[in-house]
Amino acid sequence: MSSHREAPEISKDPVADSTDVYAFVSPDQPDTVTLIANYVPLQLPSGGPNFYEFGDDVLYEIHVDNNGDGQAEISYQFRFSTQVSDPDTFLYNTGPIESINSTNWNRRQFYDVTAVTGGGAQVLGTGLACPPCNIGPLSTPEAFYPGIAASAVHGLGGGISVFAGQRAEAFYVDLGSIFDLGNLRPFQNLHATFGLPGLAKAPGVNATNNLNVHSIAIQVPISAVTISGHPTIGVWTTASRQRVTVWDADNGESVSAGPWRQVSRLGNPLVNEVLIPLGKKDLWNSLPPADDKQFAGFVAQPGLATLLPVLYPGVFPNLAALVKSGKPRVDLEAILLTGIPAGIIPGFTNLTGSVVADMLRLNTKIPPAKNPSIYGLLGGDPAGFPNGRRVADDVVAIELRAIAGVTYPLIDKQFKPDAAAGLLTDGLTPADVSASPLGHFPYLGLPYSGYNEPS
Amino acid sequence: MPSDDTQSSPAMEVSRRSVIRGAATAGAVGLAATALGGALSPAAAASTRVSAPAGGDLKAPSGPIVVHVRNAKSGDIEVFSGTSQTRLRDKDLAARIARAIG
Repeated sequence: MSSHREAPEISKDPVADSTDVYAFVSPDQPDTVTLIANYVPLQLPSGGPNFYEFGDDVLYEIHVDNNGDGQAEISYQFRFSTQVSDPDTFLYNTGPIESINSTNWNRRQFYDVTAVTGGGAQVLGTGLACPPCNIGPLSTPEAFYPGIAASAVHGLGGGISVFAGQRAEAFYVDLGSIFDLGNLRPFQNLHATFGLPGLAKAPGVNATNNLNVHSIAIQVPISAVTISGHPTIGVWTTASRQRVTVWDADNGESVSAGPWRQVSRLGNPLVNEVLIPLGKKDLWNSLPPADDKQFAGFVAQPGLATLLPVLYPGVFPNLAALVKSGKPRVDLEAILLTGIPAGIIPGFTNLTGSVVADMLRLNTKIPPAKNPSIYGLLGGDPAGFPNGRRVADDVVAIELRAIAGVTYPLIDKQFKPDAAAGLLTDGLTPADVSASPLGHFPYLGLPYSGYNEPS
Repeated sequence: MPSDDTQSSPAMEVSRRSVIRGAATAGAVGLAATALGGALSPAAAASTRVSAPAGGDLKAPSGPIVVHVRNAKSGDIEVFSGTSQTRLRDKDLAARIARAIG
């Protein structure tokens, strides 16, 4: 997964667990960037009667570094509050929810948005309504839900729009296979299988299809997040909790106190999930990108690069030799930790400087692609990952291929990637996602209905 | 809940070094406020965050106060309120809290 349940501690705290971050120049508003942070992973749409929601006791943030220091120059903070109209019913809604202000809707969430910069904090919006979870044809009729969700897009002035609420999971990945000892169904006939009976190759299975997430999305003018001479921004999200939470048995609620402490972080997909070892994942989640130098070795010598030749004997001889040489994977360090310098890929750079920091780097000068490739930069499309990340980008295949050596010739032209490296995939494409993305903000598809899913 | 700092309650039947919550109940707040009043005496305690005005009244925060006795023997105490955290070193206060929870 991109970052769903990626570390031991945060996997026990779903409302604070970031799953994916997207950052791209808005295709329909190219003078803006859209930043999206998803939370609350793997939501079964039918998960009632207490449907999924953001944590009132969590501080959610989307950060932007615009000078390459690995620190946030702008942080958009989101704080949620839940209101219950009628505590004497067990129902989420007491009749059809036909509008965002429906009196039938019993448990609602609202949020405040604050921009924090070096100049202080500016409240951008207060009391902003989230949409309801998509429950079913009687509670959230299909005739009304798209309109309700659209009315949960709030303009905040200054060209800024926000949305926070349930959406369809757009990330596609074959979890069931990948975490079964690095198996990739399309290539599983080549897997070592540890002496167990062999497997015939098979198409991928999208484990996250028909599931929902909770999305925080903000669209801001490029001019509001960049500084002169630095078109590339670094983006990441964090979730923080106060240091102490006590269960107040008398009142049947948790009480929190103390300063905020970061419990979840996400910039580039799969970094904490796949590159950071188990014993460091919780630490990684607690730190800012500026502290990532201590983790650089896990990027420069990724464990997965060592594993691939073992799991697929004879398939990756050149990768095996590269690993054996002990040479640092400067290509991966550039892609994930510093940005790609000018002169490596003709006409492209998203270098932010020498500070080693895991951030999703987006060169805002690169216009949206007319014909996007899901393989992003590897597919010749500089508007896609690892130049930011769009909703449909196949980050699993891109990172698998990069780790397998496809990008190493960028720094060593003598290196010849294995033939299989450029073909690696878990067998999925955006066609394996049932919900269609929107062509406009907030871009993620409408959430799946609990009545229909699981079907 | 206790009416003063010498009583215990089932809710506080936890480890001596565990978190004690001084919540919106009068007794618990009394415990924290009384204890802090003593703790904030410069002669009695060292604080990394706050100091008490000489002879002044202690203004109690409106929200919960949570006291974490990190080490009862050394008197290492953390006090959480709102979004702030105060570190104290007060053996007497730690001892009083320890007695309060039996």
